[in-house]
Amino acid sequence: MHEGFTDLEWLTRTRARGDVEAWLARLPYARHIGVAAEPAADGEGVVFRLEPRQGNVGNVLLPALHGGVVAAFMETAATLDLMLAARAPRLPRIVDLSIDYLRTARVVPTLARCELLREGRRLANVRVWAWQDDEAAPLATARLHFVLGDPAAGDA
Amino acid sequence: MPPGFSPAADDWRRALARFVTVIPHTRELGLEVLAAGPAGVRLRLPWHDDLLGDPHRGLVHGGVLTMLLDTACGAAVLPALPAPEVCPTLDLRVDHYRPALAGQGLYAEARAVSVSASVVFTEGRVWQDAARPVARGIANFVRLGPRNTPPGFAEALFAREDDHA
Repeated sequence: MHEGFTDLEWLTRTRARGDVEAWLARLPYARHIGVAAEPAADGEGVVFRLEPRQGNVGNVLLPALHGGVVAAFMETAATLDLMLAARAPRLPRIVDLSIDYLRTARVVPTLARCELLREGRRLANVRVWAWQDDEAAPLATARLHFVLGDPAAGDA
Repeated sequence: MPPGFSPAADDWRRALARFVTVIPHTRELGLEVLAAGPAGVRLRLPWHDDLLGDPHRGLVHGGVLTMLLDTACGAAVLPALPAPEVCPTLDLRVDHYRPALAGQGLYAEARAVSVSASVVFTEGRVWQDAARPVARGIANFVRLGPRNTPPGFAEALFAREDDHA
């Protein structure tokens, strides 16, 4: 079988070694905007990173990143972080997202970290915050709900 | 807006087509403005393989829908104001009804629901098949006011290409 998100063996293996890059490699839009992941310096989970690509600019006057691209970055971070943090290999499908924009997103590297606030049998709630220079001064916060799909059933 | 100038629907379509072409992200993706005016805007995002979120199952990345709704709602703000102002997004909420499918373009429609002294309230939706909406968005924008809008913003929006010839 082709290695992909519905291949339970592959998903379990990549999850066990925390191989978020293998997942990102299979997300063309996340690659298009330049999302990467690395272990957090403080050892607390994963920090996601959005490259300051010219193609991510949404306001040329300021200039600033496109708010929708920042949201797409935070959604990617929430999805992959949930796949790592869930009790078992699951395929999250987004239900809804709510994002608050707190500061202008300058065209510099943007970082994000996630917290799984609740994992039920079918639904999960994830909080994400994104920042540039100072994690204590986020440029956006978001919360997302996901349905947790069973990869073996291919119903995610 | 230049005094005495009241833009017709086609002026708005042209102005917003320029608006999304000036934005690098939407220019790269080839976003088109089909219609625009005070009643709302309609956009079309042509299919491109970079929009995929799951190539194996042929599904569009959810973030593409968020980006498209943010753009459509933001574009609907300008024709709803007495004169164009710079209006950053305050917040955005997106409901995903069903996944969007690879290989088909995406349509988005958005309109300003209410305009207060400080905020523009908008809503939008995305579909591939008009009978089956894919997502709904609700976005609020802050009015920075004429004082924080660069001089010539409206004129630049409505300038014709040949004005610069």
